[in-house]
Amino acid sequence: MSLNDRIARGLESGWKVTDGATLTANHTAEADVVIVGTGAGGGTTAEILAKRGLSVILVEEGRLYYQKDFKMDELTSYANLYQEGMSRVTKDGAIAILQGRCVGGSTTVNWTSSFRTPDATLNYWGRQFGLEDLSPDAMAPWFAGREERHSMSPWDMAPNINNDILRQGCEKLGFSWQIIPRNVKGCWNLGYCGVGCPTNAKQGALLTTIPGALDHQTHMYHGLRADRLVMNQDRIESLQATAMASDGITPTSVQVTLKARHFVVAASAIGSPGLLLRSRLPDPYERVGKRSFIHPVNASVAKMPKLVDPFYGAPQSVYSDEFNFSSGVDGDVGYKLEVPPLHPAMSAGVVPGHGDAQVKNMASLPWMQSVIALLRDGFHADSPGGTVSLRDDGSPVLDYPVTDYLWQGLRRAFYTMAEIQFAAGAQRVRLMHLDSDWYSSWADAKAAIDALPMELHRVRLFTAHQMGGCGMGSDPKQSVVNSFGEHHHVSNLNIHDASIFPTSIGANPQLSVYALAARNSTRLAQRLRT
Amino acid sequence: MSNLLPRHENQDAASLNRRSFLRTGLGGALFLGTVSVTASLSGCATAPADRLGAVETRMDASYRFRFLTADDIDLFEALLPAILGSALPAQPNARRMAIAGTVERIDAGIHQFGPANQKELRQLFDLLNFGLTRITIARVWSPWPQVSTEQANGFLERWRSSGIGLFNNGYMALTKISNVAFYGYQENWHLSGYPGPPDWAVQALPQFRTS
Ligand SMILES: Cc1cc2nc3c(=O)[nH]c(=O)nc-3n(C[C@H](O)[C@H](O)[C@H](O)COP(=O)(O)OP(=O)(O)OC[C@H]3O[C@@H](n4cnc5c(N)ncnc54)[C@H](O)[C@@H]3O)c2cc1C
Ligand code: SF4
Repeated sequence: MSLNDRIARGLESGWKVTDGATLTANHTAEADVVIVGTGAGGGTTAEILAKRGLSVILVEEGRLYYQKDFKMDELTSYANLYQEGMSRVTKDGAIAILQGRCVGGSTTVNWTSSFRTPDATLNYWGRQFGLEDLSPDAMAPWFAGREERHSMSPWDMAPNINNDILRQGCEKLGFSWQIIPRNVKGCWNLGYCGVGCPTNAKQGALLTTIPGALDHQTHMYHGLRADRLVMNQDRIESLQATAMASDGITPTSVQVTLKARHFVVAASAIGSPGLLLRSRLPDPYERVGKRSFIHPVNASVAKMPKLVDPFYGAPQSVYSDEFNFSSGVDGDVGYKLEVPPLHPAMSAGVVPGHGDAQVKNMASLPWMQSVIALLRDGFHADSPGGTVSLRDDGSPVLDYPVTDYLWQGLRRAFYTMAEIQFAAGAQRVRLMHLDSDWYSSWADAKAAIDALPMELHRVRLFTAHQMGGCGMGSDPKQSVVNSFGEHHHVSNLNIHDASIFPTSIGANPQLSVYALAARNSTRLAQRLRT
Repeated sequence: MSNLLPRHENQDAASLNRRSFLRTGLGGALFLGTVSVTASLSGCATAPADRLGAVETRMDASYRFRFLTADDIDLFEALLPAILGSALPAQPNARRMAIAGTVERIDAGIHQFGPANQKELRQLFDLLNFGLTRITIARVWSPWPQVSTEQANGFLERWRSSGIGLFNNGYMALTKISNVAFYGYQENWHLSGYPGPPDWAVQALPQFRTS
C-alpha cells in the first residue's frame, strides 16, 4: 500500500510532519508564514506560498488520517474526522453542524460537489460590500485554475438512483436540473466520500495541496490546536498552540510557540472567528463572529417502490436550482435542491424517532430516497445570520436564530421536496419534522405541511456549509478583512477560508474557498517576496 | 484542563457551566439551579464508571467507561429498550449483550464529543438521574432501574411532543446518540438492510489486507 498512497509515500520520503501527541516538551519554531487549518483554504495557501519559496508551517487541530484509515465505517469516521465527534450543534442545540476536523479539513469528508460561486452572488457582493474586484469575469480564471488543480468536472457516470429520483421528479414537474461537477480522479462510484474516500479518488486538500505543500518543505503539525495569536504592538508575533493527546481531543500540557512574519488563519467559519476572539485582536466595530451563515438545510425522505440503495454510488450528482434565485438574489429566500447519501448511522441521526416506528423507518432504508434543500441565507435584511462567541472554556459556539423569513423558505422547501418525490413515484413521503407522519399522497403531504409548526427542534435542521463570521468588505466598519483576505487592522494577518464570505454562497462552497484562497495567496506571496 | 482561555478569565466557569443547561433552558424554575450541586452531594454517581460499575451488568468487563457514570448506565439500560424497540434481540442473553455493547459505544462516542458537549450531556444526565428533577421534569416516578419499558416510552413521548423546545432537544439528544450508536454498528447493519461496503471494493483495497 505504501507504494501507491501519496501520503504514505510522502511520509516515507521524509516530509516534515509532526504529530502533536508525540511532543513531550514545549517548543518553538519559526517560518516565514504560519497557517492555521489544513482544509480547503489552508491547504491552497500552503501549497502556493511554499511553491513560491516561502517557508511555511501548517497547524491542524485534528489528526492526520489517510487511506490506511479510511475503511468505509461511519462510527469511526464520525468520531475521528468531524468536529466534536459529529456532535457539533448550534448554541440552542437546534441545528446539527457537520464540519471536518482532520488534515484536509471538511474537504476530507465532503461530498465532492464542485460549483463556482454563482454570478448573482458575486455581483451582489460587489454592490453590497464594495467587492467589485471579485466580479464573475475577474474570478473566472481562478475558478478555472482550481477546477484543474482538483480535477473537477461534471460527473460522467449515471447518477445513482437516489440522485436520479431528484432528476425524475424535476423532469415530471418541469423544474430545471443539472449534473453536478465533482472533484474526483478515477472514482470507484462507491459512495463513501463522507467518511474519507477509501480509494484516493477524491481530490480534496488531503491529496492535492497538502502533499504539494509538504513536497516543498512545509512543516505540518497535526494534533496541535491553535489557541491564541499574540500581538506585539500592531503586529502578530506568535501563535500559541496546545498539543493534543493521541485521542485527538484531550489537550496535553505541551505548549508550542510558532513565530512568523505573517499569519494566515484558515480554521474556517466558527473556528476562525473563535481564534480571533480568543486572541482579542483589534475589532473596533465588533464584527468578528457576526454574520455567520450556514445554508440551513431541511430534508424530506421518501419510500420508493423499487430499491434505491441510497448508501451506494457517488453521493451527489444531480441538483436543481429551480428555486435558488427565482425570487431574485435578495427576494424571498432561495434554495438549492440536492440529495444526501444515506448510510445507517447518518439515517439514524437524521430521521427522528424511537421504538418500533424507528425500527420500521430503518428497515426501509434500501427503499429510502432523500432530498435536501439548502437555503441561501444572508441576502436579505431578515437573514442577518448567526453569531460566533466563546464558551467558558474558550471554544467557539454558533448562535443561529432562525428568522420568520427563513421559516417561510423552509416551509416552501418542504412542499417542493415532497412534490418532487411524489412526482418521481414515491409511495410515501415523510418530512424531517417531529410532527410529520408518512404521507401517501401529495395532497395529504401538502395539507400536513400547511399545518406543521415551523419551530426550532421540531423541524430537523442541518448544516454542512459554515460560512462568514470574518466577513470581507471594503468598509472596515462592516467587515473584518478586505477582498484579499487582509485583516483591516492587523497588517501581518490574512484570513483564507469560508469565514470571509459576506453572505452564504448559494452553492456548495468548496470551490469558492479554493478559488479565493488561490487568488489571495498569489497576492500574498508577491507581497512577502518583495 | 482543556481551557483555551487564560486562567483568570475562567474563574467559576465550571460551576456556572454546570448550571447553564438548566438556567438557559428552564429559566424560571428557580430551585433547579442547585440540581447539579445537590446531585453530587446526595450521592448521584458523578465519576466515570470505569470498570467497577460495569462489572455486575456488563458482558465485557474489560471496557473502561470514560464518561458515563454508573447512574448514566442505569439510565440508558432503562431507555434503550424503549428507544430500540423490537430491534433488540428477544433472547435475554443476546439482549443484554446488545444493550451493553450499545451503552459502551455511546460512552466511546461521547468521549469524542469533547469537553463542551460533554458538559451539556452531564447536565442532562444529572437532571434525569437526580430524584427530584427526574420526578418533576421527566415525570418518571421510580429510579431508572425500576422503570418499565412502557414508562420509559411514556417519558420519551412526553419530551418528544412537549411544547418546550428544551425537552424536544433532550429527546433528540437521547434518541440520536442511541440510534446512531446502535444502527451504525456493523452487527446491526442488517436491521437497515445495509450489506456493508461492497465486497469487491473491500477485496481490492489495500487497507483491508491483513498482512
Ligand atoms: C459532510 C460534508 C459534506 C460537504 N459536501 C460538500 C460538497 O459536496 N461540496 C462543497 O463544495 N462543499 C461541501 N462541504 C463543505 C466544504 O467542504 C467546506 O465549505 C470547505 O471545506 C471549507 O473550507 P475551509 O478552508 O473554510 O475549512 P475546512 O476545510 O473545514 O478546514 C478548516 C480546518 O481548520 C481546522 N481548525 C479549526 N480550528 C482550529 C484550531 N484552533 N487550530 C488548528 N486547526 C483548526 C479544522 O480542524 C479544519 O481541518 C461539505 C462539508 C461537510 C462537512
Ligand atoms: S464515490 Fe468516489 S470519491 Fe466518493 S468515496 Fe467513493 S471512490 Fe471516493
